[in-house]
Amino acid sequence: MTLLRVEGLVVAYRDPAGGERRAVDGVSFTLERGGSLGIVGESGCGKSTLARALLAHGRPGSRFAAGRILLDGTDILAASPAEHTRLRGGRVALVPQNPLQALTPHLTIGAQLDEVLARHRGLRGRPLRAATLDLLAAMQIADPTALAARYPHEASGGQRQRAVIAAAVAGEPDLLVLDEPTTALDKTTEAQVLALVQAQQARTGCALVYVSHDLRTIAATCRDILVMHAGRVVESGLTEAVLEHPRVPYTRALVAALPQLAPRPARSAPPPLLEAHALGFRYAAPRAFPFLTRRPGPPALADIAFTLAPGRTLGVVGESGSGKSTLGGLVAGLLAGHSGLQLFGAAPLAGAARTRPPALRRRIQMIFQDPAASLNPRHHVLDLVARAYIAYHRLATTQARDRAATLLASIGIGPELLRRLPGELSGGQQQRVAIARAFAAEPDLVVCDEITSALDVTIQAQVLDLMRALQRDRGVAYLFISHDLAVVSEMADDILVLHQGRVRALGPAEDVLRDPADSYTSALVAAFRHRRVALAPAPA
Amino acid sequence: MPDALADLPIAPTRRPGRLLRALSRPATAIATLVVALHLLMAATAPLWVPHDTSAMLDVPLAPPSAEFWFGTDLLGRDYFSRIVSGGQVALLVASLGVTGALAAGTVVGLACGYLRGVLDEAVGRLVDALMAVPEFLLISILVLALGKSLPALAVVVAVVYFAGVVRVVRARTVALAALDFVRAAELRGESRLVVLFRELLPNLLPILAVEAPVRVSAAVLRISALSFLGLGISPPTPDWGLMVQEAMTVILTDPWLLLFPAAMLSSFVVAVNFAVDGFAAAYGLRGEAGA
Repeated sequence: MTLLRVEGLVVAYRDPAGGERRAVDGVSFTLERGGSLGIVGESGCGKSTLARALLAHGRPGSRFAAGRILLDGTDILAASPAEHTRLRGGRVALVPQNPLQALTPHLTIGAQLDEVLARHRGLRGRPLRAATLDLLAAMQIADPTALAARYPHEASGGQRQRAVIAAAVAGEPDLLVLDEPTTALDKTTEAQVLALVQAQQARTGCALVYVSHDLRTIAATCRDILVMHAGRVVESGLTEAVLEHPRVPYTRALVAALPQLAPRPARSAPPPLLEAHALGFRYAAPRAFPFLTRRPGPPALADIAFTLAPGRTLGVVGESGSGKSTLGGLVAGLLAGHSGLQLFGAAPLAGAARTRPPALRRRIQMIFQDPAASLNPRHHVLDLVARAYIAYHRLATTQARDRAATLLASIGIGPELLRRLPGELSGGQQQRVAIARAFAAEPDLVVCDEITSALDVTIQAQVLDLMRALQRDRGVAYLFISHDLAVVSEMADDILVLHQGRVRALGPAEDVLRDPADSYTSALVAAFRHRRVALAPAPA
Repeated sequence: MPDALADLPIAPTRRPGRLLRALSRPATAIATLVVALHLLMAATAPLWVPHDTSAMLDVPLAPPSAEFWFGTDLLGRDYFSRIVSGGQVALLVASLGVTGALAAGTVVGLACGYLRGVLDEAVGRLVDALMAVPEFLLISILVLALGKSLPALAVVVAVVYFAGVVRVVRARTVALAALDFVRAAELRGESRLVVLFRELLPNLLPILAVEAPVRVSAAVLRISALSFLGLGISPPTPDWGLMVQEAMTVILTDPWLLLFPAAMLSSFVVAVNFAVDGFAAAYGLRGEAGA
């Protein structure tokens, strides 16, 4: 029985010139009750706009120019605002892309779920909180009471996304729209979250619309697939059939751009640039009462040992909460107060960046996951990079700008982009600017914390190529942190597998991937191999 | 090379399109025009008013005539000249006070939101305490303590709005400080002052642009209310609040004396709010600023 029928939908955005740009241009499809549909395409192809439209929601500046969206035969675009309010979260629920923006920063996660449950189930007081904790437990949260008491910024990425999914399924919707819900999660957490969504689907018979740029997740989740490009559907059908025999060139390019699980050939090892022995770290526990001293919490990292040679790449893999970002933060100087030994060449690497000698600060740079957040939205491209020359090389502003313009041009950011603000760039361009800012310091080591996980597969491949070229030309070492084993295997000479703050595997990439000695590592590798087999990409 | 850079095209979002889009909404356009007229009037009134605002020129309560367009008030002064000049002092005091509140509140809110710790806890409680006192009670106490001079009134306005500005700025700063561009600045070893004023402050300007006019219009209304109660601007200065109070005594016989200052006051406050609303929507600031 058909649940959802979209007929000739056109969503148009006003553009600055006064005309209109069609983000969704004549899209039609149907979805059975309990069915699952993946919508895939590069960023800017209109997939998120389409996802919002299924909740009768248009972004500011957009309008529904033509077409109908029939939910059980009723056109939701023609419904009144009051009906829209009942529809959203009730019959159709959205799991948005960025859980940190979806959650209110000043309320605890428990309080926010209370609010949703109070509305949909009419509970109050103690039964309400009990239902909230049940819901969190159903999301496979290990300690629901502790998570409920946390504010969104105190939870990990995986925990936040589970909380957001909990809020979405609380109203037991007929249609669950997921907009890139697992982009920021590691593969094991992602698999758990997807299993969770599928379990919810099996239990309530709700239908799924799953928007993603990641073909692998869609292959694992959805029966049907819709490939979008420039607002139009270029290919659709059964997921398996479309991915095995892509008919149009665009789909073929998408499939071919997927990173493959293949290690780089090994190179001989020079003396170490970065060393760690018995490295450990504890975050401070939340204060019991304002003004009281914070006590150390449970260990986030324990007994870590590794070495990284100049010009080489150490890949750090693990799920969210495994301590891989903590490790990156300790090396870069975001965090202070580790135990054990951390050496950079001959110098002990201790304390926050501000307390380190300026020369040491310059030699270790960091590139962050989300370029939109790591670039100051009010500074233009040229100044963002020039600032690094001013801070590290004590150049005057004009000289710093000249150098910055040259560096940016060398990595594909032309002069026409220099006076733009980060918000006026694409995700790939933003990450290039962030990379330029790190390389402006002329570092020996760059900590790359999930630098491709916010990007499309095609852009991801370009950024990885750029990183490899920069390493070849400048002999920089990378501490390359990612949840994506395929990306790490493409980049890393050596791989360090972290699980719950401990090293589970360490060695040359080829050995770790081909013959994992440790049970957790083999499960991780197997999960990736399985994905790849399920996909069976056609030769390009 | 620097010259070549100076020739680069300006970024596309700094186009005038948003301004035109805001003004293309009739409500915003009319409101902006009204605000502009008010500001122009306040700035230039002394140059062109037909009569001295404090000179007694005719019989009291004379009807409108060619000489006295709005007639005369209780003391035989030209009512038109007084109405035109009546927003000047309140607007000046409100602007000075709000500027002080924004300057101090932004610095304190930024520091609290970024540095956190004991400073934040302490300031937070002080702000709670200030906001717990009913606004008008706080104003009255401060006026009684500081006196009715114009600088004192500006200080009162600054103190009263300080707490609200701290809250808004602190909340936004906490959200901004969680973003990685602040981490990037810290890793560069930038001093705390650089992080506060170079990295964070520019991101607050859109909120302050909404806060400033909304708070000035609210302050004008408060000052008028104070003048009405005899705690604000003193006679013979022309002031809408004072005029309303004077007109109260003759409300049954000459109600238009009440009508003019009341209309001026409300048109200013309503127009400011409509205009800010329209611009905030056009520049995508809605929901970002608490007002």
